[in-house]
This record gives sequence, structure tokens and C-alpha cells, in this order.
Amino acid sequence: MNSDYLKEKRILLVDDEEELLKLVRSILEGEGYRQIRQAGTVREALKLCRQWQPQLAILDVMLPDGDGYALLSRMREMADIPVLFLTAKGEDEDRFRGLGLGADDYIVKPFLPRELSLRVGAVLRRSYKNDVPLVRLAACAVDFERAEVIRGGERLPLTAKEYEILSALYRAAGRIVTIDQLCEAAWGDNPFGYENSLMAHIRRIREKIEANPSRPASLITVKGLGYKLILEGGR
Amino acid sequence: MRSIFKLVRRFVATLMLSLLILLVLNIILFLGMASVGLESTGGWTAAETVSSGLAEDGQGGYTLDEAGRAELEKRGAWAILIDDAAGDVVWHSENLPPEIPLHYSVSEIGRGVRGYIRDYPTTSASRGEDLVILGFPKTTYWKLLKNTYDYRLIAGLPRTAVLVVAVNLLCVILIYLTATSGVLRSIRPIVSGIESLPEGTADGERVYVREKGLLQDLARAINRSSERLARQGRELRRKETARANWISGVSHDIRTPLSVVMGYAGQLAEDEALPEEARQKARMICRQSVRMKNLVNDLNLASKLEYNMQPLKPEPVSLTAVARRAAADLINGDAAGTYEVICQWETEGEPCLVMGDKGLLERAAANLLANAQVHNPQGCRIWVRVRAEGEKAVLEVEDDGTGIAPQELTRLRETPHYMMNDGNVKEPRHGLGLLIVRQIAAAHQGEAFFDHGSCGGFLARLSFPRIQKKES
Repeated sequence: MNSDYLKEKRILLVDDEEELLKLVRSILEGEGYRQIRQAGTVREALKLCRQWQPQLAILDVMLPDGDGYALLSRMREMADIPVLFLTAKGEDEDRFRGLGLGADDYIVKPFLPRELSLRVGAVLRRSYKNDVPLVRLAACAVDFERAEVIRGGERLPLTAKEYEILSALYRAAGRIVTIDQLCEAAWGDNPFGYENSLMAHIRRIREKIEANPSRPASLITVKGLGYKLILEGGR
Repeated sequence: MRSIFKLVRRFVATLMLSLLILLVLNIILFLGMASVGLESTGGWTAAETVSSGLAEDGQGGYTLDEAGRAELEKRGAWAILIDDAAGDVVWHSENLPPEIPLHYSVSEIGRGVRGYIRDYPTTSASRGEDLVILGFPKTTYWKLLKNTYDYRLIAGLPRTAVLVVAVNLLCVILIYLTATSGVLRSIRPIVSGIESLPEGTADGERVYVREKGLLQDLARAINRSSERLARQGRELRRKETARANWISGVSHDIRTPLSVVMGYAGQLAEDEALPEEARQKARMICRQSVRMKNLVNDLNLASKLEYNMQPLKPEPVSLTAVARRAAADLINGDAAGTYEVICQWETEGEPCLVMGDKGLLERAAANLLANAQVHNPQGCRIWVRVRAEGEKAVLEVEDDGTGIAPQELTRLRETPHYMMNDGNVKEPRHGLGLLIVRQIAAAHQGEAFFDHGSCGGFLARLSFPRIQKKES
């Protein structure tokens, strides 16, 4: 998949640990991200937000002149950009608070470089998916901006549920998404008893995206567990 | 409160027994005393003796024989003989007091016979048509003047007796109740105070009994004990909290330096410019850092679960979803395909729901799968099963790997983990993973069971109370 356009996004790192900033920066630069700036305090971060308008922020929770939750709220007042918490506070409470405020992801220290770059990539892909011209699959391409499948010059619209399910699979492309996670994505909380409906929707999605729906090449069933979306190009 | 009821019963029984004993004792005493007083009829026999001892001396006078004389002397009594026709005294003993009249009208005779003559108690006997009257010293007898009872009273005596006894009993009970209700009133709060002492002070709360009335000393003692227990409870809780906070603080502070170690090691491991040997070493640092990270997380969670500081957010959770998530995470993280995961959902299409904290349940399932991976780095098959067993929901993880030695299994089942062990720990320590599984099961009123697997591997079974399907 061509995701080079994501490498151009402006990423703001906020942490009071110089060493950690260096590390994150080196990991992201290693992944090819080119526009990275860093701040050690809430003040600096807000200043950069105004002047530089980052497109993704990675925040620590504990900062010398305030906390990351407050910073998130202030930043959201200026622009609706994706935000990722990177913090040593690993309690569920903290995580729920961060996610409850609308953070896009929450990474607890310590982390492996691969984990960080994957999650940053996923958040960017999700937030800027409308920038993606097309997502290429084995037999077709999916246009998430218009919720359409393009196959041999033909445009097949996706229903709302099909769109939600395919989006959830795309966000975790190459990984198994469980039946329950898909039901939750499509039907919200307490998604019990939708398994049969999910199967019906998956069948209809396959009819749209697969060359041979009974021998799927892109939307793979993992028996008993869930489904996996294989993108063209091996991901 | 049951103890109070028992106390009252015991009291009443004792009271009734004492009443009975008193009654019997009194009857015996009365009979004893009365036997002494039976002599009071002696006055009348004396009169008979005197009457029969009087004889006419042939000159119109009378003489008293020896027996009669002795009788009078013994009792210090005087005697007169009244003539039937005229009411005159025709004979009297020598010791007749001067104030005793020598002539009697019929009414005077009546009064004299019934009671007293000039305050001298009298007895009488007839001598032919005439009358003998004996007078005794004034303090010898006390005579009943109107010895007449209503006939109905005597006829109804049995009923009267019953009535009297009943009224007496009622009276006794009333007195008892009035007397004891005060005591009971003051005992009741004390009893309930003592009864609630074990539970009431469990969470550092206090039990308070009003220090008033008869038993205020007891109440004060209870309040003091309660305060002491509560203080100890609070103190213990404080220490546990401090310990858990300490562990939590350490695990927080270690994360940032560990991130840096892990981050750079991870980068070095993937740096293709480095020789393979160096990358291998970096990978080793990475792996060990991950172990450290897991250890820190586990330690923190285990200490919180141990001290009940992990808030549970219970909601209906599908055990199947929990198992699927854990299995999918394993497969997603196992790019090389070292492990074959076989899922067996035996729930007949129904979601197998339990009331629980989703995050913790997922953690338990993940720990079981991780356990299978850690002990079988060469790879193995892992079965993940969920089934409903009556009122239980069961999650089972089994592998066909190296398994567990019997003595190791015994130790796992029986010895407490070193975190819960206050003795010296010399045995090799097993990891926190299964301890956390057990703690999570316990926090959900469930059970964790470990055994040999049917294919030679290890088997772990978690069972939780299942949410029953509602009738609606």
C-alpha cells in the first residue's frame, strides 16, 4: 500500500524527558516521518500548536507545568487533530480517562519501537483515510472517502454497516479482528447476538470485493475467532 | 437477640422454682408453729376437768377435787360456777379477782362465754344445768369474737384458691417484667453491639453503644474495643495501601528508563548496518526488557488484586469474546506460526455471559495463553475452549507441550505464592502470571484449576458463575 503521503504529516512530540523525546524521534524518523517537532512543556506545546499546526500529537500525561489531559482539551479547541498518549501511567483509570477525552490511542511505557510506529501509522491512516486515494485489495480497490468499492471500472456502494466492518478490518489490516470486535464496531456496546448478522454482512462485503466470494483472497476467515483483511502488497 | 430470649426464659424458670420452694417452706413452717399453738384448746379441757371435779358438799356448797385444783394452779386461772336459775355465782375459787361480778344476767353470761369477763379470757363447761367458767390471766389467750364465715365462701373454697394463686402469679409476673424490662432495655444495645463487633469493625468502621444506664461500664468497654479494632483495621488497610502504592510508584518510575532501553535495543535489533551478532544481542536485550515490563505490570496488578485495590467494573461479558480476543492476540503476535490455536466454543450459539470486569478477564485469558507460550518456546498446539456447565461458565486452555512435573503441580496448587507468604522463601519462585489468573478468578467469585493436560501438556480451567438467560 502506498502510504508515503502519511510520512509528510507534521508530528508534535510532548514529553519532559529529553532522552525519551530523542528515542521517539529516532524511531519515527527511522520509519520515514520527516516533519517532527518536540516540546517539553504545555506552554511550548501550545505555542507550537498555534504556529506550526501539527497533524498528530504524541503526549505524555505528566508534564512540568500541567497534565496531558488538559493539554489535549486545549489543543482540541484549536484543531481536531489525532492525539496519542505515551505515558508511564498504565492504570486502567488513566487509560479510560485519556481515551474518554477523545485520545485516539494510549501507549503505556515501556514500548517496543515497532509497536509505536505501528500505532502511529494506524492512527494516521484512520484519521487521514480520506486522503488515501484508494486502498488496494486483491480483486478491487476501496474508496473509503466515498464508501465505494471500485472493481473493473464499476463502483459498488457500501452500506453503513458494511463500511463500519470494512473500516474496522482495514484499521487492523493484516491482523485478526475478532467477531466480537467487529460486532462492537458495527452495533456499538453490548454487541451480543449479532454473530449471524455479521456473517451475512461479511458475505455481502465479499460479494463486492472478492473475485470469487466462496474462495476469498482479501477478507479471510479465521475459524472460530474472526476475520482478517489482507491488503494488496502483503500487509 | 436470641441470647436475650434465652436469658428471659432461664430467669422466669428460676423465679417460678423459687416461688414454689418458698410456698412449701412456708407451709412447713406454719404447720410447725401451729403444732405449738394447738395447746390453746387446753383451756377448754381445763374447764371440763374443773366442772367434773366439782362436787356438792351436802351443805349447799361445793368442793373442788385435787385434779381440778392442780389444773387451776398450773394455769393461774380462776373458776366460777353460775347457777342456772338465778344467775348467781354459787361457787368460786379462792383466787377470784375482786372485780369479777358475782351475779350475771343472761346477756352477761353470753358475752362471758364467748369472749372475756373484765378482760380475762374465758373458757366454759356445763355442769348439769349449771355453768362453769374459767378465767385465765389476761395475756394467756387471744379470742376470736366473731368466728363466723359466709357459707358460700367455704363452699367455693377450691375456686377461690385457684383464683388467689392466679392473681398471685400474675402479680409476680408483672413485678418481674417491670423489674427486668429496665435491665433488658439496657442489655439489648450491648448485646447487639457485641454481636456486630466482628463485622462492624471489619472495614475500620466503629460500633457505638450509648454509654448510659445500668450497664454503662459494659457499653464503654465495648466502645473501647470497637475503637481499637477499627483503629487496627484502618492501620492495616493503611499499610496495605501504602505497600500497593509503593509498588505502583516503583512500577511507574521504572517505565520511562525501561522505554529508553527497550526503544534503542529495538532499533539496534533492526539495524541492518550492524553485524548479525550485535543485532542478536540487541534482540536479547529487547526480550529481557519485555520480560521486565511484564514483570512490573504483573507485580503492580497482583499487589492491587491482593489488597482489593483494583476497582472492578462489572458488566455482562461474553466469555467467548474474551477467549477469542486472547487467541486472536496470540495469533497476531505469532507471525512465525509457532503455535497452533484450536478454538472450541461449546456454547450452542448462545453467548456465554458472566458478570465481570472485561479488562481483567481478558488479562486472565491472555496470561493462560502466555503461560503456554512461555513454557513451550519450541511451539505447541493450544486448545482454547469455552462452554456452559450448568450454572458455570468455563474457560479452558490446554496445550500438548512439555507439561508440568507432578510435584510442581502440587506446589502450584497448594503452596501460597511468595507474595502471600510470610515465611522464608527458599523454593524457586514461579511467575506471577498464574497467581494473577487465580486472583482474577477469585475476584469474580470464580475458581482457577490447574492440571495435567490430556495430551501430556498443561491444563488450566477457569469457571465463573454464569448469567442465566432471562425468561423474557
